[in-house]
Amino acid sequence: MANRALNLLRASTTVVPITTRRSSFLSPNIWSPRTVEVKQRRSKRSYSTSSLEPPDVSRLAETARISLSPEEVEEFGPKIRQVIDWFGKLQDVDLQSVEPAIRADTEGDNIRDDIPETFPNREAIIATIPNFEDSYIKVPKVLNKE
Amino acid sequence: MLSSPRLLRHHLPPLQCCFTTAPTQPPSSQILTIKKALLSGETTSVDLTSAFLRRLRRTEPHLKSFLYTPSDQTILQQAQELDNRIQNNEPLGPLAGVVVAVKDNICTCDMPSTAGSRLLENYRPPFDATAVRKLKEKGAIIVGKTNMDEFGMGSTTEGSAFQVTANPWDLSRVPGGSSGGSAAAVSARQCVVSLGSDTGGSVRQPASFCGVVGLKPTYGRVSRYGLVAYASSLDVIGCFGSSVADTGILFHAISGHDKFDATSSKRDVPDPTSQFIANDYLVSKPLKGLRVGVIRETLQDGVDPAVVSSVNSATSHLEDLGCVISEVSLPSFALGLPAYYILASSESSSNLSRYDGVRYGKQLFADELNSLYRNFRANGFGSEVKRRILMGTYALSAGYYDAYYKRAQQVRTIVQKSFRDALDRNDILISPAAPSVAYEIGEKKDDPLAMYAGDIMTVNVNLAGLPALVLPCGFANGGSSGLPVGCQMIGGAFDEEKLLKIGHIFEQTLEGYNFVPPLVADEVGC
Repeated sequence: MANRALNLLRASTTVVPITTRRSSFLSPNIWSPRTVEVKQRRSKRSYSTSSLEPPDVSRLAETARISLSPEEVEEFGPKIRQVIDWFGKLQDVDLQSVEPAIRADTEGDNIRDDIPETFPNREAIIATIPNFEDSYIKVPKVLNKE
Repeated sequence: MLSSPRLLRHHLPPLQCCFTTAPTQPPSSQILTIKKALLSGETTSVDLTSAFLRRLRRTEPHLKSFLYTPSDQTILQQAQELDNRIQNNEPLGPLAGVVVAVKDNICTCDMPSTAGSRLLENYRPPFDATAVRKLKEKGAIIVGKTNMDEFGMGSTTEGSAFQVTANPWDLSRVPGGSSGGSAAAVSARQCVVSLGSDTGGSVRQPASFCGVVGLKPTYGRVSRYGLVAYASSLDVIGCFGSSVADTGILFHAISGHDKFDATSSKRDVPDPTSQFIANDYLVSKPLKGLRVGVIRETLQDGVDPAVVSSVNSATSHLEDLGCVISEVSLPSFALGLPAYYILASSESSSNLSRYDGVRYGKQLFADELNSLYRNFRANGFGSEVKRRILMGTYALSAGYYDAYYKRAQQVRTIVQKSFRDALDRNDILISPAAPSVAYEIGEKKDDPLAMYAGDIMTVNVNLAGLPALVLPCGFANGGSSGLPVGCQMIGGAFDEEKLLKIGHIFEQTLEGYNFVPPLVADEVGC
């Protein structure tokens, strides 16, 4: 029953290994005839997906400062590539002249005046720091071969 | 506050049967019932709270909804203080004596707040989240912190570093997620109402799976101060209740501007209580002329037929109530899902960089700083969180930003516009809350993409920042007594009041359903 939901993702990904019937629900042509902004224009996108390198899990882990075991590298690789391939679905949508929205379409920016206030519970903040000595947070040495 | 005669007319029978809902009776507001019972001296806060604690302790070994509960003594002490205030005729807050559970990614200074992560296992925040502070000021009794997928990243609550929560309707199934503990706790009447958080559906999908009411407020309506950040442009704190009235009262209590959250809105929050018109006072077509748009893309192939049929029945019910039903198309609907996961992963990779082993958690030994970061994060984060950080890191890499993050933001613009257009022509939009009923435990565990697919009904609403109310509307086969199906009602920005009014009339007039799970039916459904 739940695998039925997978149909919702089938539209343009080709890498998903499980084959179930494709959903008319999300096939590309469902939105193309009906909208001006969103239509499939494979030929006119600003870059080709081939210019985007597939994810190298070990390098990403290095950038994100997370050590991965060899087993994790092996396990994560296909899963991450599968999702990134699915992200690639957006490459085929014509989004030229559409402004990006940085957040919800509501309101905000109710920024308060920049006046410092003393936090009343300083001791509790310090108590959460694992290694605190003489008003300093202690960390291992920062200089290293990198 | 106490303006609705229908909600007040239940007199409290002996304690264990306090919240009687006969099989075909509409759900009544537990909060208003409690307030009346306390004020009239019919019962005491200590007795009421004890009844909840007894049920919590009895059901918790089966459900595992809570990551932390204070001792009974600590909780009952608060109830005793409230009873003393009642004795002295002191004024009571709108949540006086209401037993509330709080999702564990919402900071509480007197309880641990782990966000479901091993990394924050012993973290005690030095402050209360604004929502929690408001609960306390209004008299609520916080009964514990609920289980969740680590940092909110998941749709089953199996992603918790500590335990798997079961669905009260069928213990072999998940409660949904990421606010699964909060949904299960309300469903099993371990508490009256609870707080959750909703980044891409984490209140609405578990509400649907557990047969309770769930409200995702407009982005900016409830302060995010003290909510552990996952994807800040999408995160909101939301509410669970066993009735629309309770959910609305809780929502009203925690909403409003907060100077500690620059994205919180300064708009007034109308008290929804006056909208809760009693069933007996309803005219024959109480929703006459209300325009309801059914989102075509959410009822097509790929959605469980039992879900489609329940939502279609809900639509017919709205039509009987006088609504004008039409079909609307949101052509960009399917694009919202990958756009959402790009944005959420990217923002999380940035937000979670704060977990560096320096400021929180148990510091590991390392001979240089980068090793400390790497090892601390390797030991502290679970697999799903690591993968999302890595995917977000990829999407934000130099040269890739335009292809992923920026495009996802452009899709967000299109999604927002398509909702605006649809809501110009309709008062509310209707869809299922999830494409299926609750999954079996383990069913989605090793297939992230299959789990993400289940979020199709909810993520677009977060991209647009709109409010949405999920309420139980039917059952599908499964478990010993069927599995609940939830219907999602989406409204215009800051129009929670309308959703609550419609939802209240809907549930008061929906006949033939009882959304009390078998696990506790003997106690609360008597």
